[in-house]
Amino acid sequence: MAMAALRREGRRFATPLISPRPIAAIRSPFLSEEDAPLGVRSISTQIVRNRMKSVKNIQKITKAMKMVAASKLRAIQVKAENSRGLWQPFTALLGDTPTVDAKKNVIVTISSDKGLCGGINSTAVKISKSLHKLNSGPDKENKYVILGEKAKAILVRDSKKDIELIITELQKNPLNYTQVSVLADDILKNVEFDALRIIYSKFHSVVSFLPTMATVLSPELVEREAESGGKLGELDSYEIEGGETKGEILQNLAEFQFSCVMFNAVLENACSEQGARMSAMDSSSRNAGEMLDRLTLTYNRTRQASITTELIEIISGASALEG
Amino acid sequence: MASNAAVPFWRAAGMTYISYSNICANLVRNCLKEPYKTEALTREKVHFSISKWTDGKPQKPTIRSDTPEE
Repeated sequence: MAMAALRREGRRFATPLISPRPIAAIRSPFLSEEDAPLGVRSISTQIVRNRMKSVKNIQKITKAMKMVAASKLRAIQVKAENSRGLWQPFTALLGDTPTVDAKKNVIVTISSDKGLCGGINSTAVKISKSLHKLNSGPDKENKYVILGEKAKAILVRDSKKDIELIITELQKNPLNYTQVSVLADDILKNVEFDALRIIYSKFHSVVSFLPTMATVLSPELVEREAESGGKLGELDSYEIEGGETKGEILQNLAEFQFSCVMFNAVLENACSEQGARMSAMDSSSRNAGEMLDRLTLTYNRTRQASITTELIEIISGASALEG
Repeated sequence: MASNAAVPFWRAAGMTYISYSNICANLVRNCLKEPYKTEALTREKVHFSISKWTDGKPQKPTIRSDTPEE
């Protein structure tokens, strides 16, 4: 107590010598004179200490989230890579034809249910919106089918009228083909389309995911396109076995293609989500570490300054007595 | 619709190829022997909630849960 009183007394004289706010030199916004309780003249380190504690806790949380994302990513990455074999034959057979002109476009935007995963959801939404703009015309129709809470939250704001279906809570159980195919079935039954355009983030590595569009054309459009000898002209060179007509085959193919492409897209997107979350959490724990370093420096400097002041006071007091 | 295959029948019942193939897949899963059978059946769990929007208004969401074949 005596020390504190001495310190407080001494501060009055010491102020011209030392800067009144030594921390102001390194510009810390956390400690200013307004923050100190009323009537306290010495600099309180309490606020900095609390701040340090909370930053440390946040860092712990983000580190834990990174670990969780990393372990989830490993499980889902294998699945996603295996699922690529599902759509590749379709692309070989029907081709990937994003440029084919279609009247009724349905844009299937795939996003995640949870946040804290960087910008992948907003990228998907941005691509969907620009696709919507690109395909809009006088006799054209664009509709959204949205997977996941995050894209829903953004698209509900300004594209309410064009939303056709919203699907959420997809990732409660581990993703599997049955689930996605039931979902694809529901989409097919509920929307009319000439072309389905699926927007998702394709997983390349933990730090890179490309926003990708997969196109599934309706059977009528495929047939028309094949007959006119456009991009799908080669389709006629395939022989059809069995009793089915070409139209039936194409319809079955289009449906199955959609469910396969959806399965892959959902997996790739989940994979990208975990990767994005991992890197986001990594950088936020690094930021927290940097902030902690800065705060520690501030805190120690202030502490050192007050110790120095006390020493000066004691020494000068002693020498005044001697003199 | 023509031909002698089974195609027209499930198509006429209002099913898509996806639901048809799902039923077939489930039949195959049920043919597995025991340790593998439960494993395969528990792996394929369905859960999501779907809501239809009409004129910018959401309808009541329906939750699809654990209905592997539909």
